[in-house]
This record gives sequence, structure tokens and C-alpha cells, in this order.
Amino acid sequence: MIDEETLAQMNGKYACPPDAGPAWRAAMEYGFDMSLIEESLKLTPEQRLAEHQQAINFFIELQESGQSHGAK
Amino acid sequence: MAQNDQALLMRLRDSGLEFVVIGGVCVVYHGVPVATFDLDICCPFGEANVLKIESAVKDLNPVHRLTANRLRLDQTRGSFKDLKNIYLQTDLGKLDCLGEVAGLGSYEKALQQSVLHSMSFGEFRMLNLDALIAAKTAAGRQKDLDAVRLLRAVKERKEQQKELF
Repeated sequence: MIDEETLAQMNGKYACPPDAGPAWRAAMEYGFDMSLIEESLKLTPEQRLAEHQQAINFFIELQESGQSHGAK
Repeated sequence: MAQNDQALLMRLRDSGLEFVVIGGVCVVYHGVPVATFDLDICCPFGEANVLKIESAVKDLNPVHRLTANRLRLDQTRGSFKDLKNIYLQTDLGKLDCLGEVAGLGSYEKALQQSVLHSMSFGEFRMLNLDALIAAKTAAGRQKDLDAVRLLRAVKERKEQQKELF
């Protein structure tokens, strides 16, 4: 049986770490997806930059693809 | 148009230019996954340093990307001694070199508030977290202030969980 909280998390509710401080909670309440920050903090700085490079490459590819297909 | 920050960083290092990485790449470095489409550095200026920047990118068709007619960098050597910033478009992406950082001041101030980080492709100086927060706060655009909220959260988490860093 899945409890209500787990079901909510399965549906996208962020499980804020119980020891999260006020700045973390403020950012969460502002609307940021803090799960992305948590995942990023698990990486080394070099891994973060490599992921960023991959994302940029993807964005640029999308942009160029859109341009070549006449997207505005 | 490509944006290869790692290649640009390696070229700048190989040119002998002293610099500190600032801006969005530094935000990513500290753990906030934002999309940033340029490489921002702070460096000392003066003709000798601008010549180092030029040597780093001279085979990448560098142009002053903010000039109306996108002047080629090599056409502007006569003005190198007068430059305080350079905003370039190169074949490896956008490279913005700034002589000062808002909220911090000169290159020397940025240098004092930087950390040397070793990566597989070399050692590079990044603004430390406090300095980056100060710089982004001073920049004041919505995207900067959004980054500040997240950087403050990261700082708080860092202080709680030293093992993350």
C-alpha cells in the first residue's frame, strides 16, 4: 500500500530534506525545482560543467534544427 | 553556433592570460544548473593582455559581437590599449572578457575572491561562492536574482553538509 505522501511524490511533489534551512525552503517556496539542485550537488564541479556542456549542445542543436525548419 | 567553454578555457590558459571565471559557468560550477550561452571571465586589461586574448582565439574568426558591423578583432589592434572589456563571438562560442566585476571591483578583487580548481583539462580560477552571490546581486537582472536565491540555498546546504564539496 502506498501512503499519501509517497503518492504525492510520485506525482511530482518535492520531498524537502527535513534538515533544509531557510534559504533552501525559501527557494523551494519561490517555485524552484530544488530536486535539480540536489542532483547537481551530488556531482563534482567538473561533472556539472560537463553536463552543462551537453545541455548547451542540445539547446544549440534544437535551435539550429528549429531554424532550418522555419520555426520562429 | 557552437559554445565550447572547455576549449575556450584551455586556449585562454595556454595564452598565458590570467583570469577568473565568472558568470553563468561559475554558477554551474557551484551547483546551480542554469543554461548559459557564453563564457564570462574577468582578467587584467592593457595591450599585452588583450594580445594574449587575441592569441587564444585568433584562428577562430573572432569578432566584436556587440559592434554594429561585427568588427574583426585583428582590425582593432590599434584600440587594444584602450579596451576595458571585450565581447567576442568566435567559432567556439561567445567569450566575454571583463576588466571589472559588478559588486566586486577590479580583476585583483576578483582574484582575491577566487578558488583554484583542478579539473581533468587543467586548473582554473572560479569566483568563490560568496563573491559570486555578491556579483549576481549587484548585476540585479531577474535571472541574476533567481540565481542568487539558489546560490544562497547551495551555500546554506554547503555549510550544513561539508562532505558535498
